[in-house]
Amino acid sequence: MSSEARILVVDDEMGIREGCKRALSAEGYCVDDAEDGNAGLEKVKENGYDLLLVDLMMPGMSGLELIAKIHLIDPEIILLVITGHATIETAVEAMKKGAYDYLPKPFSPDALIAVVRRGLEKRSLRQEAKKLYWERDQRLLELVNERSRMRTIIGCMADGVLVANMEGRLVLWNAASVKMLKSRGFDVAGEPLEYYIDNQAMVDAIKEVLSAKDESFSMISREIEVEGDPKTVLMANIAPIRDEKGNILGAVSVLRDITQLKEIDKIKSQFVSMVAHELRAPLAAIKGWLEIVITGEGGGDEKQQKQWLERARDRSDSLLALVNDLLEINRMEAGKIAQKMEPVQVTDIIRKILDFMKPEAEKKNITVIDKLPENLPLIQADKRDMEKLFMNLITNAIKYSTEDGAVTLEGEVEGSYVCYRVKDAGIGISPENSDHIFDDFYRADDERVRKITGTGLGLTIAKKIVNSHFGRIEVESKVGQGSAFSVCLPCEERKK
Amino acid sequence: MKPKAKILLVDDDQDFLEMHEAVLKNHGYDVLTASSGHEGLEKVRAEMPDVIILDLMMEKYDTGFSFSKEIKNDPLFKKIPILMVTAVAEATGYRFSLKEDGYWMKTDDFLNKPVMPDVLIGKVEKLLAERKE
Repeated sequence: MSSEARILVVDDEMGIREGCKRALSAEGYCVDDAEDGNAGLEKVKENGYDLLLVDLMMPGMSGLELIAKIHLIDPEIILLVITGHATIETAVEAMKKGAYDYLPKPFSPDALIAVVRRGLEKRSLRQEAKKLYWERDQRLLELVNERSRMRTIIGCMADGVLVANMEGRLVLWNAASVKMLKSRGFDVAGEPLEYYIDNQAMVDAIKEVLSAKDESFSMISREIEVEGDPKTVLMANIAPIRDEKGNILGAVSVLRDITQLKEIDKIKSQFVSMVAHELRAPLAAIKGWLEIVITGEGGGDEKQQKQWLERARDRSDSLLALVNDLLEINRMEAGKIAQKMEPVQVTDIIRKILDFMKPEAEKKNITVIDKLPENLPLIQADKRDMEKLFMNLITNAIKYSTEDGAVTLEGEVEGSYVCYRVKDAGIGISPENSDHIFDDFYRADDERVRKITGTGLGLTIAKKIVNSHFGRIEVESKVGQGSAFSVCLPCEERKK
Repeated sequence: MKPKAKILLVDDDQDFLEMHEAVLKNHGYDVLTASSGHEGLEKVRAEMPDVIILDLMMEKYDTGFSFSKEIKNDPLFKKIPILMVTAVAEATGYRFSLKEDGYWMKTDDFLNKPVMPDVLIGKVEKLLAERKE
């Protein structure tokens, strides 16, 4: 015990107090004294001690009373009872109240020191034990917290988590995994995987990890298909849990639903192959024409060869138009086009386009009939977009019109919309085609339109423009009678 | 010297029809053209060509495949060799094979567009020679 141990002697006999003090100070202890119970109690409250020597027979507060009170203040103080005339019973009573030992009077300094030393040792052991208990409680608390923390973390995860032990039994999981595997729910831990997971591929993958022999093996990634409506695809990353010797204790599986990614991937490759076709075919045609002129393998005189070169040029023009349209769509989809919205009189824009297209229409002897009323409401729109939109529709109307036909422009107010109609008396669109004409690269599968060139993106762009103006575009058509494209755009609100 | 063999071109792209026609005519062949499978079948029935050069057309209801199937399933026409041409072999995922093997598409011969004039003539001559045997 350290020399700093603090001891208080409470006794009404001055001789005892002095004797104890002398003997204990000589041992290096720090010793105080008090002549009665009340003074002793005050000193304990004030200073705090490791050990008290208490005389049981004192005037005023009795030793027993003092012991009881001190025990309430600090149960860890070692209490030694000094008894003179008292019987053993009183000492036993004192022990019951929390005294550690007793010392009958008279006692020798050696006996005193021995008892004090034992008492202090006891105290030091108690304190040590208390510290250990405290540490153990802390660890248990940490463990409980850790467990709760882990459960909360995996519970909150959008990814599915499954932990299996060495025997292939499920020990930990989260709600996301139950949902992803479309399982009926895992109620208790410890059942074999098959009991809960109705997906052989998933179970097999976990077992493969559990039975891995190779020590460097760290993880497998596998796509798991889950039947059901809709069918889903999961990406499962499964890794072994190892002990310090490298033995496998279990396996952790983290699941992610990649159904949408797969879908996007599919759409992307469809788009790429579509674009590849649309770009490759015209390029091949251009090269083909150049080749037969350069090699002379097509024969033909100079005039004929010039015509072929013109064909190559026409094809490169349409390829250029296609690339421009693709870039336009890409810009629109990426939202890179900063639309400049302003009140626009769309009728004026349409009339300018009609002027511009006049020579084209006259070439096919097509009559353009302008039935647009004056003073239609303004529309909050991007001017450039409106030009592009009606340029597309009017060009189409002329392109798909039969010779000597007519293209008619109409406009009217319908509720809070202004509707423009571009009508042609052309070949018309069959119902199965009209369902698809706004799709990318869709071109009517019809022998009569085969010689009409186009990128197949004009109406895709038109629809995107109309959508970005919160309007709608529709087509009405009868084969052999012509088509009418209606564009309805919300009026600019004017309070007048 | 060269026999005047009759070649049928089936392609939905007008440019390829005309350029292949020019090359073949320049080498002394008789050339028929059709811009759809439907028209192609009519020409086969009416004219019995010696070789068919067929584009793998991408239209939904009228592909080179269905045309080729019709010809090959017809006892009258199945001996007519078909030369498949396409600009988009990789993009469609279709592959051609000269032998039947389930995965690749069986055809008598195939070429990627653009077809070099001398290669086109070489293939046609080869198919005609094989047919003679």
